[in-house]
Amino acid sequence: MIALQSVTQKGLKGKNKSGSANWAAIIFLILIFLIPFWAIMIITTAEPYYPVTGEPLREAAKGAGITVVKVVDSTWPVGGAMGGKTYTLSDAEGSTYTIMTQKFDSAKSRDAAVITFSAQTVGRGKPVGKLIIIGNYLVYVQPFTSKILNQIAPELEKAKAV
Amino acid sequence: MEVSEETTAPKPSGLTPPKVLGIFALAMINVAAVLSIRNFPSMAVYGWSCIGWYLIGTILFLIPISLAGAELATMMTDRGGGVYAWCREAFGTKGGFVAIFCEWSNNLVWFPTVLAFIASTLAFAISPELGANPVYLFTVMMIAFWGTTAIAYFGEDISSKFQNYGVILGSIIPSVLIIGLGLWWLFSGGAIVLPPFSPAAIVPQIDLSTLPFFATVILLFAGMEMAGFHALETRNPESDFPKAMAISAIIIFFCTVFATLAIAFVIPVEQLNLAAGVMQAIEYFFTAANIPQAIAPMAVLITIGGVVSLAAWLIGPAKGLGVVAEEGNLPPLFNRTNKYGSPMAVLIIQALIGTFISLLYVFLPSVNQAYWILSAMTVELLCIVYFLIFASLIRLRYSKPDAPRPFKIPGGIPGIWLVGGMGAFAVIFAFTVGLMPTGDFSSSQAVSYVIGVLLGTFLLAVPPLIFLKMKKPEWIETAPKEG
Repeated sequence: MIALQSVTQKGLKGKNKSGSANWAAIIFLILIFLIPFWAIMIITTAEPYYPVTGEPLREAAKGAGITVVKVVDSTWPVGGAMGGKTYTLSDAEGSTYTIMTQKFDSAKSRDAAVITFSAQTVGRGKPVGKLIIIGNYLVYVQPFTSKILNQIAPELEKAKAV
Repeated sequence: MEVSEETTAPKPSGLTPPKVLGIFALAMINVAAVLSIRNFPSMAVYGWSCIGWYLIGTILFLIPISLAGAELATMMTDRGGGVYAWCREAFGTKGGFVAIFCEWSNNLVWFPTVLAFIASTLAFAISPELGANPVYLFTVMMIAFWGTTAIAYFGEDISSKFQNYGVILGSIIPSVLIIGLGLWWLFSGGAIVLPPFSPAAIVPQIDLSTLPFFATVILLFAGMEMAGFHALETRNPESDFPKAMAISAIIIFFCTVFATLAIAFVIPVEQLNLAAGVMQAIEYFFTAANIPQAIAPMAVLITIGGVVSLAAWLIGPAKGLGVVAEEGNLPPLFNRTNKYGSPMAVLIIQALIGTFISLLYVFLPSVNQAYWILSAMTVELLCIVYFLIFASLIRLRYSKPDAPRPFKIPGGIPGIWLVGGMGAFAVIFAFTVGLMPTGDFSSSQAVSYVIGVLLGTFLLAVPPLIFLKMKKPEWIETAPKEG
């Protein structure tokens, strides 16, 4: 009888141990996925929404010494898009690039457009282009490896600071 | 107490899953995981040189991973777990567990992306305005996520049927339709917007600025190992796996290359507004072809393709992690299977974590750079998985040279080094260039970016080592629990 009790107690202890191990594992897993998210949110900052006047891309191109060859009006087929422009730019080497801008009616619609764009990954990788947020504008540069992004991004940063 | 590692994986215990999968079903699992319409417009911006980029991805990754998958899967037909079983055989439990966990955690970071794609594409079929509504986005994302988890609940028979029909409807038919329309455009005298073809035009521009794109192209065909997770449910694995690998690789390659070219023929690059999503390109394409009424049905089909891709990635690695639990490397809770043989605990934990991450993804204010870092982390985690697969392929030729290999990569040791070495080189390269920040990062942001990606990748790759350190003998059970 005593032996049986001892075995039962051992069994219960084992079950309790397993139970706490289960919970510890679940909490550990949840934390392990939350920590990177939390860390990323800390080291990056949310983009504020504010009205931008003028044409931030044209001004940035001018500042970077890039020629605007052609400008066409365009509206993206996404909710809240209020119109923008498609610029054809030419750098000093004569290479041409297409950059698109779009104005949004609210922070909500702008952020939804960012989510839509972030979902356009190639395979399991990254999207082909890169979005830059300036207030109520999204500026889309493709591909993300283009040289013009290096030249124009610091100028667009200045537009953000204004 | 640390449990000693066995050199050979234990045979699966308990329930024997029904053998329901044949060549077609296996091939469709891979096609579902890899073939995606959303790649086509993204690659079409490269014009003729998309062929060069695709060839790079095919030679450096698609062919090596298909051959590696065929050899490893046929070598271990009596063991479940796919990538886990393969890497475990070569590097022990630690190596196998790290490989499968990286694949699983990669999924959890990737789920919100594919779910957002599904929701925004479906919105296009209903009303594009809906895409700007976070509540709509989250609701559809959750229906797709939990719905797919529910399908996984009913086991291999149901989920393979879902994938077979889904991949034909959502991936193959839209691809063939786009190719057909491209051909019609070509032969009906439509203006081709690409410059005249020349062999030089297919050579991609390769310089420092395009290096980061390499990582993207290499992983364009990620997912070819997905069929390997279903070894125990396959009727004739020795003969079916190699055939399924070959069929899926051919379907994926031809659909991808020709559908991309069809889009590149019709849509001028300055009109390919990828920021607005894949449907903008589809809308332009079908409007140009004078069948705008096909746009909404196409959005529905592409949505189905997204759901099927989600299902393939949701089920495979979860099954692998279920085998890890079955072998006692995770606490017993993770070893819960239902009467259909599905790893219920892993599926539910996966769905809960995925839901939480999706919640942050949709409702946090726009943190554009954060999304970029998360995409980079998925690339790095997958590179770890594929490096371990290729390393296992090579190592097993040395450590188990006489093990039966119904499909054997030809060429002996040089052949295996060529295939495995090329694949391993490609993923190491992809891992390295995947850390390169894009031009819009300031120098301090670039440092934060690299640290963030490396730290995040490390955190998501390291839990197996902690679980193995904590491993208790009572975690090993003789048979999987139903519950």
